Amino acid sequence: MRSLVRAGWSAFAISVRLKVVSPWAYLNWLVFPMLFAAVGLYVLSRPGASGSHLVYGILGGGLIGYWSVAYIDGGNGIQDERWNGTLEQLFGTPTPLWVIILGKVCGALLFGLISFVPTAALAYFGFHAVMPSLDPARFVISLAVLTFSFFCIAQALTPLFALWRWAFSMINGFELGVYVLCGFMFPIAILVPWLQGVAGALAPTWAVRALYASTTAEGAHDFVAWWLYAIALSLVFLIGGYFLYALVEREARVSGQLALA
Amino acid sequence: MRRLAAEAAVFARGTYLQYVALFQWASIRGYIAYKVLLPVTQIVFFVELGVYATGRQNALYFALGNALQLTANAGIFGVIATVANERQYGTLPILLASPANRLVTFLSRAIVNVIDGIATVAIGLTVAILIYRLDLHEANFALLAFCIVLISVTTAGLGLMFGSIGLVMRDAIIIANIVYYALLIVCGINFPVSRLPAALQVVSYSLPLTRGVQAAREAAAGASFDQVAGLVAGELAVGAAWALGGYVLFRVLEGWARRGGLQEAY
Amino acid sequence: MASPAIEARQLRKTYKSTRGVFRREKVERVALRGIDLKIERGELFGLLGPNGAGKTTMVKIFTTLLLPTSGSALVLGLDAVKDQWALRRRMGFVFGGDRGLYWRLSGLDNLRYFADLYRVPPEISRKRIPELLERLGLKGRERDRVELYSRGMKQRLHLARGLLNDPDVLFLDEPTIGLDPVGARELRNIVRELADAGKTIFLTTHYMFEADAVCDRIAVIRDGGIVAEGTPDSIKNLVKDQGVVEFEVVGMPADSIAGLRTLPGVSSVAVEDRELAQLVTVQCSRPGDVITHLSTVLDGVPLTKVSSREPTLEDAYVQLIGESS
Repeated sequence: MRSLVRAGWSAFAISVRLKVVSPWAYLNWLVFPMLFAAVGLYVLSRPGASGSHLVYGILGGGLIGYWSVAYIDGGNGIQDERWNGTLEQLFGTPTPLWVIILGKVCGALLFGLISFVPTAALAYFGFHAVMPSLDPARFVISLAVLTFSFFCIAQALTPLFALWRWAFSMINGFELGVYVLCGFMFPIAILVPWLQGVAGALAPTWAVRALYASTTAEGAHDFVAWWLYAIALSLVFLIGGYFLYALVEREARVSGQLALA
Repeated sequence: MRRLAAEAAVFARGTYLQYVALFQWASIRGYIAYKVLLPVTQIVFFVELGVYATGRQNALYFALGNALQLTANAGIFGVIATVANERQYGTLPILLASPANRLVTFLSRAIVNVIDGIATVAIGLTVAILIYRLDLHEANFALLAFCIVLISVTTAGLGLMFGSIGLVMRDAIIIANIVYYALLIVCGINFPVSRLPAALQVVSYSLPLTRGVQAAREAAAGASFDQVAGLVAGELAVGAAWALGGYVLFRVLEGWARRGGLQEAY
Repeated sequence: MASPAIEARQLRKTYKSTRGVFRREKVERVALRGIDLKIERGELFGLLGPNGAGKTTMVKIFTTLLLPTSGSALVLGLDAVKDQWALRRRMGFVFGGDRGLYWRLSGLDNLRYFADLYRVPPEISRKRIPELLERLGLKGRERDRVELYSRGMKQRLHLARGLLNDPDVLFLDEPTIGLDPVGARELRNIVRELADAGKTIFLTTHYMFEADAVCDRIAVIRDGGIVAEGTPDSIKNLVKDQGVVEFEVVGMPADSIAGLRTLPGVSSVAVEDRELAQLVTVQCSRPGDVITHLSTVLDGVPLTKVSSREPTLEDAYVQLIGESS
């Protein structure tokens, strides 16, 4: 058991170190969120816009960065090893693949979290945006719940992307749709009702709603209910992920396609 | 004359092959993802953001701006992907060693993406019309169509610059990503250029799209060609300058790459 | 009695795939057709065969990466299908080529990472990694990024990775592929040393001299079936009544080749282009007779460097592969 924990930790540490030296990682956690934060802040701070809107500019860029890193870097945990030619090597060790992926997804999430730092700094220094009434405890819990939901989704996407490469293209093409549905930069309340229904089925939506609610005194504050929705919906992804892993292991050992790039 | 015909044949064949390569790269699923899903979601995201910030009455401003910016999807990603594909399949050294006319080779990789850019904007405008009831009953359609062709050409001009960088840089597609989304900030797509700091406004007007999008917005509101002639001329000049710069860089880097063998440094 | 190090019983593998876009068609390809094989502990065993013969498929089944369609594969008495976790701790594998490493990390980091994944206790890996670096000639360069390594160094790093868990059995799939002659020889020497130190080694290759030089025992595989098995000498014995005549000639006419083939006792004629001349290799049962008839058949075409020699493993291999085709 201890050696298993050490193997998972080692996968986490290596994934962090590989991201430090990869230009792609900087695109996802730094450049992308900064560009979106800039557009968001300009639009949301437009003359005549309500002041409470600006909080979406403060956290929106960070949320976008966090999600991008979670699904691109976390979700491609198996695919990037395949491109690198290391997948067979990993598969042939006495450490189960899901333990390695667990470590890698955690490494990706750590990088994603950093996204909030430069985007919030841009909001503060560039647009003098502040959060009107921050509730630190609820903010932290909401962020933790969001992290759990991203973790579960990334764990499920990893085998999905390994099995069907086009699934990544689809989610990549739909990236901004996720921003819309999860309410990263504006509340989903402004969407047409049927889209709000779709949004409600996604775990991060509820965590993001709680996160924004924790920064302002306005509106409803059903934190516990929102957290529970997010956690329950995340578990669905986790269970789906379990079956997908089993499928990956079986497919890999039957068709021998592990090595193929 | 025969030489001209031969060049034309090379150009046509090059264009056709790039077209095939491009769509192989995209595939049907890839096309749906990047030429349908991405445009739709980009328009919905920025329109809803704008609506949230400024009210439903401004939806058209955001819808039109983002639909037009989609040309960059083909003009920048397309051109760079063309080079990246050649690098990946190892055909780049062969191309560089071939005796084909450099300008022909160079331009043939843009032409497909110009056509693709026009198609992408058409998809974007259709989406905007269907979802947001983009109202064009006062528009000068001929001028609007001309503007769409114009910005497809000028953004491909910018793309050629990055295509050239792609000859020697492994991760040029990263730069393409940055430029694509930076255009959303500086080209007056989601808010007027006048709100940017003065230094960034200089950048805005040295990039394609800025004037073209402005001209297209006016065409959509019913302006005549005379009213936007200045913008059109400026847009053309900027696009041509980038394409020319890209060509010069292509020749310089070609020499450099051959000496250093960098195009194979995968 | 201890179980054999490696054992295959009626091992079969069939790949299924679909082909075509509109009319999907199921395609079956048989990679291994009922292999029986037994390798004793401490043996250095070589599997020889052309590309696509089934070598890699066999290695992947033994290393638990692939499931057989039927039959069984046992390593150290453990079933490669059912006992995968126990088996993975006790065996190592190295595939040829320079991929499969983290190029942006140092060699040392690569080894430390895989030591953890092989679940080697830290107190052991702290000692073992420097030993492996020393033994494989990577000491001094272990903190450099792998992308700065030569091809031979990358391959030795692969081998070090394969030895991290001090395996009893080591699988090497074409380990010298793409290496220069010096690098390949260094690697062969290390492999021989490992075998002499008591490890069981299963090596695949399509270089005859490699198998001849290092292996205790070899098998030749063709189209998923084993066509010969034994020591390098016993395989050569299969062609012992065969001699080889070699000579160089400038401008070999096609009808002369046909003429050579009709000589009594000649079993094959191969022509290989050299810079200015062609090297002709004739396999035959009576080399003396062939040499006598050469000038008649070639009808005055000048020939040089005529020699006759004992058959090599390569000659036997060519004959075996050719015979069954």
